Amino acid sequence: MVRAATPEAREALKSAMARLADGDQSALQEIYDATSAKLFGICLRILGDRKEAEDALQDVYVNLWQRADRYDPARASPISWLATFARNRAVDRLRSGKVRQGAVPVEEAAPIPDAAPLADSLLIDAEKATQIHACLEELEERQRGAIRSAFFDGQTYAQLAEDADVPLGTMKSWVRRGLQKLRGCLEANE
Amino acid sequence: MSPSKNKEPTIKRDDPMLAAEYSLGLLEGEELLEARGKMTSGGIFVSRKDWWDNWFIPLSDEMDGAAPDAQVWERINAAVNAKESGADAGADVVSLKTRLRNWQIAGSTAAAAAVAAVALMVVSPGQDPAGSAPVIAAQQAPLMANVPIGDTNLRIGVTYLPEAKEMLVSASGLTADGVHDHELWLVPADGSELQSLGVVVAGEERRVTLPAEITGNMGDGVAVVLTREPLGGKPDGVDAGPVVAEGAFTQV
Repeated sequence: MVRAATPEAREALKSAMARLADGDQSALQEIYDATSAKLFGICLRILGDRKEAEDALQDVYVNLWQRADRYDPARASPISWLATFARNRAVDRLRSGKVRQGAVPVEEAAPIPDAAPLADSLLIDAEKATQIHACLEELEERQRGAIRSAFFDGQTYAQLAEDADVPLGTMKSWVRRGLQKLRGCLEANE
Repeated sequence: MSPSKNKEPTIKRDDPMLAAEYSLGLLEGEELLEARGKMTSGGIFVSRKDWWDNWFIPLSDEMDGAAPDAQVWERINAAVNAKESGADAGADVVSLKTRLRNWQIAGSTAAAAAVAAVALMVVSPGQDPAGSAPVIAAQQAPLMANVPIGDTNLRIGVTYLPEAKEMLVSASGLTADGVHDHELWLVPADGSELQSLGVVVAGEERRVTLPAEITGNMGDGVAVVLTREPLGGKPDGVDAGPVVAEGAFTQV
């Protein structure tokens, strides 16, 4: 379940990030309340394990507190930046060897009980989401599939090649052609 | 099939392509090191990666949101408060000695030597005489990284003490070639530009206090890489040299 971020919600988040950078600890809870459902959803999808995802989430916010001044509004919107940070942290954890590779995908895992319902989470950018989807649609199925698996499941070239049962070089070639085409499409839409 | 018979366009594996692969997390081994090396020089490669990040991340809107357990916020809050007070308030207190012993069993000699030196550093100044063993809060546990050098048995041991914000780099097994230096870099988990941890002095142990912009990026699982540079380290305005080794911090 996702909801579009209202301009007010975006401004509130931006202002909370600025206050956090100034050392206002109460801003951290505000940021957590507004973004944790989104970020936890990302960690859970990548890691496929609640405990691991919660540890990754904790890392993200503790790190954010330690270095709140690192967020640069010129680089990304607060929610894009936080979501990227959470995804990177989850992928790092996946690769660190602490998480079982090939963890059960979330869809196949035991259903999450009612006590922890799916939470509302902020949409990042509906317009950009529409554009990247449209550009991905222009790719061949195998290119699109591989790029999506890399993003959603944190898979490397080697894992993608193994899953598709093709040589590593073939997979790299598919993905690189896909990325090249994707870049052209995205640049044309900027 | 030769490329000329292939109707598809030739693949240009340029920096924008590498930035896309790095942003998605597709790379391993040498290709990953190459991308990380480019992240050290800042500027255009970092911007290219940001460009891809900002295009890819809206895809996460397809991922369902989920509510973490309420305890997660409590843990974050406790960790932040512990860091704020600089004390062990409210956190699990564990013996550094136990951790050191465990590490020494599991770790390499270089790293163990580094830990031993740190232990001395921790225990000696201003230790509460009433305390039976040096204790630190769980949230303040030391971080250690082993950076193996190629196929050799040599490795660089890096230890970071959160409370003191000090890092100890042990390169005691290494010898200088007189032509190159090696520079150590932290790979921030947020995907931002790599941060220099300084030039590694071959054959020596070096202790430095790290600035807040680096300590904030320290954490369990965070990677470090070692690059080969001209003497004195990477000159300003040029790409970092080749990445020759990498490792990751582990909480002891």
